[in-house]
Amino acid sequence: MRSKTVDRLLNSTPKDVEIFVDLYADLLVRINELLLEKGMTKKKLAEKLDKKPSEISKWLSGEHNFTLRSLAKLSAELGEALLEVPKKKTQTAFVEDGFICKIHSFVSYTKLETITADKVWQMPVESEQSNELSNVG
Amino acid sequence: MNIFALEIWYDEGSACTIYSVKWMSDDDDGTSETDKFFDKYTIPAHPLEDEALQLFRLITHSIGNKYGATDDFFDRAENSAQALPPKPKKWVEEIKELGINFPLRLFCYRITEQIVILFNGGIKDAKTAQESKNLSTKFYEAQTFVKKIEEALQSKMIEISDDERYLQNLDGTTDLIL
Repeated sequence: MRSKTVDRLLNSTPKDVEIFVDLYADLLVRINELLLEKGMTKKKLAEKLDKKPSEISKWLSGEHNFTLRSLAKLSAELGEALLEVPKKKTQTAFVEDGFICKIHSFVSYTKLETITADKVWQMPVESEQSNELSNVG
Repeated sequence: MNIFALEIWYDEGSACTIYSVKWMSDDDDGTSETDKFFDKYTIPAHPLEDEALQLFRLITHSIGNKYGATDDFFDRAENSAQALPPKPKKWVEEIKELGINFPLRLFCYRITEQIVILFNGGIKDAKTAQESKNLSTKFYEAQTFVKKIEEALQSKMIEISDDERYLQNLDGTTDLIL
């Protein structure tokens, strides 16, 4: 049961509007989830990002459109991927029960603790590379 | 006496049922308040058509179908300047806006994360809804709706259904007249 106006708008909303709003809502919910999971207040996040708490509130209350830069900063501080772009080559598609199923692979970035002077990078021990052709006669 | 009906506006989403209100008077055309809002701003080539469609998508998909009426999507409407009528126990809320200086506001009453009632709204062209010429009438009207709905719930004139997705009268009927 729904109104005729709803029917009309469900059929006339442009796809780009749908994608924009869906992404926006997903980001908003995910950022709030991460803040809760990590026990981080908006004030603390603002400090880490060197911004005023009011600016963070604007991001999260929708008064400020997310930019790629602001998303990257948020992602780095929260230590979780917020936006994932599927790579075309890593997509697998198959048909099952009349549906086209697609599997995507993503790369996510997690911020590690800052490396201090006493922590020195060590190159991994190089093992002998296997040669897949070595057994080919 | 102002009588209105609560009617389902959109209930095909899996997360939340969206209601609207409709005045029950001879001089009203029987269109719900929320339909009036969207019919006004989604006319093709209306300068705010895109924004109205964004709001529509947020309500039907993000709230109605995906997340439900969580805190992520709602703002308490500012009400501090309002002395009379008395403040309702529950605040009138606004669907959270999208983007910089989003010009539209749609008032609502969130009963649970599974049930939301939408009212009417308009263009926010001042700092508060009360100061916005286009919005103040709708804001006070929303307060009237909220007060009566709140009273009906408290007096158990209406109740939430067992599956928590609908409002109903105590006898289980769903013609909700307040």
